[in-house]
Amino acid sequence: MANNIDLSIDFCGITFINPFLLSSSPVSNSAEMVARAFEAGWSGVVFKTLNSDRLPIIHPSPRMHCVHYGSKKEMAVQNVEQISDRPLKDNLIDILYLKKHYPDHRIIASIMGFFEDEWVYLAKVAEDNGADMLELNFSCPHMCIEGSGHKVGQAFHLLERFTEAVKKNVSIPVMAKMTPNITDMTEPALYAKKGGADAISAINTVRGISEIGLDDFVPRPNVFGKGAISGTSGPAVKPIGLNFIASMAKCLELGLPLSGIGGIETWIDALEYILVGSSTIQVTTGIMHYGYGIVEDMIEGLGDYMARKGVTSVSQLVGKALPHLHETDHFDLERQGVTQYDVDRCIGCGQCYIVCRDAAGQAITWDGENRRPVLDENKCLSCMLCQFVCPVTDLITYKAMPRGWRRNETPVMDPSLEKEIQYEPFTKEGPNECTV
Amino acid sequence: MSTPADFEPMEKGFDLAQAIAEADRCLLCHDAPCSAGCPAETDPGRFIRKLRFKNITGAVRTIKHNNILGAACGVLCPTARLCEEKCSAIFKSQECPEGADRPIAIGKIQRFLVEYAWHQGIQVLEKGAPRPQKVAVVGSGPAGLSCAAELAKEGFGVTVFEARPEPGGVLRYGVVSYRCSQDFLNRELDDVRALGVEFKCNHPVNGQRDAEKLLAEGYSAVFLAPGLWQAASLKKQRPAIKGLWSSVDFLAALRDGRFAEMRDAVAGRTVAVIGGGSVAMDCIGAAARLDAADVYLVYRRSYAQMPAEPDERIEAQEAGVHFLLLNQPVDYVTDGGRISGLKLVRTRLGEADASGRRRPEAVEGSEWVLPADLVIEAIGNQAPDDSPAWYPRVKVNDRRLIEVDPDTGRTSVEGIFAGGDIVRGPALVVQAVQDGKVAARAIKDYLTQ
Repeated sequence: MANNIDLSIDFCGITFINPFLLSSSPVSNSAEMVARAFEAGWSGVVFKTLNSDRLPIIHPSPRMHCVHYGSKKEMAVQNVEQISDRPLKDNLIDILYLKKHYPDHRIIASIMGFFEDEWVYLAKVAEDNGADMLELNFSCPHMCIEGSGHKVGQAFHLLERFTEAVKKNVSIPVMAKMTPNITDMTEPALYAKKGGADAISAINTVRGISEIGLDDFVPRPNVFGKGAISGTSGPAVKPIGLNFIASMAKCLELGLPLSGIGGIETWIDALEYILVGSSTIQVTTGIMHYGYGIVEDMIEGLGDYMARKGVTSVSQLVGKALPHLHETDHFDLERQGVTQYDVDRCIGCGQCYIVCRDAAGQAITWDGENRRPVLDENKCLSCMLCQFVCPVTDLITYKAMPRGWRRNETPVMDPSLEKEIQYEPFTKEGPNECTV
Repeated sequence: MSTPADFEPMEKGFDLAQAIAEADRCLLCHDAPCSAGCPAETDPGRFIRKLRFKNITGAVRTIKHNNILGAACGVLCPTARLCEEKCSAIFKSQECPEGADRPIAIGKIQRFLVEYAWHQGIQVLEKGAPRPQKVAVVGSGPAGLSCAAELAKEGFGVTVFEARPEPGGVLRYGVVSYRCSQDFLNRELDDVRALGVEFKCNHPVNGQRDAEKLLAEGYSAVFLAPGLWQAASLKKQRPAIKGLWSSVDFLAALRDGRFAEMRDAVAGRTVAVIGGGSVAMDCIGAAARLDAADVYLVYRRSYAQMPAEPDERIEAQEAGVHFLLLNQPVDYVTDGGRISGLKLVRTRLGEADASGRRRPEAVEGSEWVLPADLVIEAIGNQAPDDSPAWYPRVKVNDRRLIEVDPDTGRTSVEGIFAGGDIVRGPALVVQAVQDGKVAARAIKDYLTQ
């Protein structure tokens, strides 16, 4: 350990030694695996969703596929994995083992049933065998039997009913896991709260298609000639996850602790989830890609960040970005800016010129002889596309202009065509918001 | 233990993942400077972008369409002073020292794409609609192959006349196989053959007025690209001394079935190679690989003046070759008709000469003898003494190099064009490729207007 900073956090009245948890998935499939994760530094686990042995669970084969971006591997992973295919007894023995050998670590049992009695049964056996907490899996995006998985997550009355049934029968905290395959997550989250949920976790995987075979026309993974829309995870879904966590955290009526999930690989990803309101975060795809060892960098990175910022407790960071999160109509549009170029450091690739020409304000002319961009700041849209593509760090930066400064309007190609235009200005008054 | 019948195989090229990773580093420059850096207009900026956007067939099409010898150029080009020198990814801006990086490995990507097409059976070139005219190409080296392929793409009937048993010219007989192997070259030649080009090997065109006779025999135009195969010597005429070879003799022997013979001649011997260019590097590399006891490179200037590429020089030194710099050979030392050493005089560098390099000046009284069992002269090739005889009306300069209009490759004789080393003097493969392209365009114009 390179630093010794206390990262502990309270979540639903339970202390976690740090906010970093394994999410319910292949990475939390057995005690042997979870024990190694704990040794690596993870503070807790949402153990892979228990099933009641009533129905056989068989994973499709192959069960995953992924999206590469250029030579960057696994920008996203798509899976058709089911809930735990292990006998319930084995999973319970494993939970007992973890409780016995890792008393400082927290075990959250993920459960999923198809009807009330099954939910209650699973909740009770999990509690009876040492689970510190439950996570109700309302969101597995490819368990497609009506009344289970994400279909439950979308049928709000079922979600409330099952939560309520579980809560009546256990005394440990209960967290409801939400599907992102929905427009507004606060709505089902509020139903879960009505049912008695103590916390919300999100997001589960996003329904998607990662690739389609160009010769066999089968969407991937190709399960013996058949593909399916199924759960997508990994770095590509992080903006989606942050959106849902932030939206729920902003919802005063909800007011429940949140466990953030979706594309977390580094301490910065984790911190961003914390800053928009998560008290704990959960990881699967990052581990699928790099193994449990990434938690060392999360612990060290977050600790050093806190030391740098003089923050003594992770809880002080929870939701810290929320006061700065607004609807776009609150922006001060009187303030405008432009890009500025430190051309002395330019290496002459011209990517800024290409994107400004074809996707922005045509604010750059190209000095072909010297291979340098020449900026006309009166045309700059401050979209920052040029900065995104520039290979030299901080060569292109944003410069705020004085209040009242306006950029040039984009000229029309042929002003003489004005005499041919067919046009009356729109003059009706109306509301400035859409009303339903 | 069996003795190998050839050098080790070529260094392995990129695989698909490596090529994609390298292409990912590309900045996809506006008005790509790498493309401007290719003498044959192979257009790396375009084919790397095509690879980046998963248009692999298109990338191969760009290469092969622009440069029929894309694979050979990928391995033989001194890319560090061509396309890669211009690469923006070098981040060479003085003001941006923290950005220091390396150029995109353009040559390796280019080689990968062509090899990938071979392995996947991707065909990107088509014969043009047949035209009535036939064109004769003399010489099957880079210039001849390039011209032949361009003309075949345009639908002309093309016959390539090659004096040696197999086509390829310098690619086959002038380069060591660990840089450009037989198989590798044959695949590239297959791409030329697939266009319908006919090769007539063991068919020297060197008799009195032979070039013009081709015009009389029904060929509508002739492209002369015989290359330069007469190695220069310390003496005006290389004396017949056992153990004194030219680089041409040595490198060709390694490729024409006499590999074992060469190995027996070199193994355990002390070899001195005279010269400082890329051919000299091939000779010392080959000699070292043939288990010579010691290999000396004798060069009259210093390390920084050597024309050989920096990576070739470093590779040779790593292989244990002794660089004898600032030593000028002045005579052969013999013993009973066999070479026994090389008489050298030390030099120092004086003022710059016409080439901009500092001139070596002999240090008086510093003669000494380097004992050697074999001496290989690699100090440049020249036009053969009798060259004008088979094209007597074609105007040549004082070095017997053919004079052409650089924009068309036209010689002083109507219908006869020329390119490659016989025009430029010793030059790069990629320059010869461009000569072939330029001449092919001019031949098409000549035959269609």
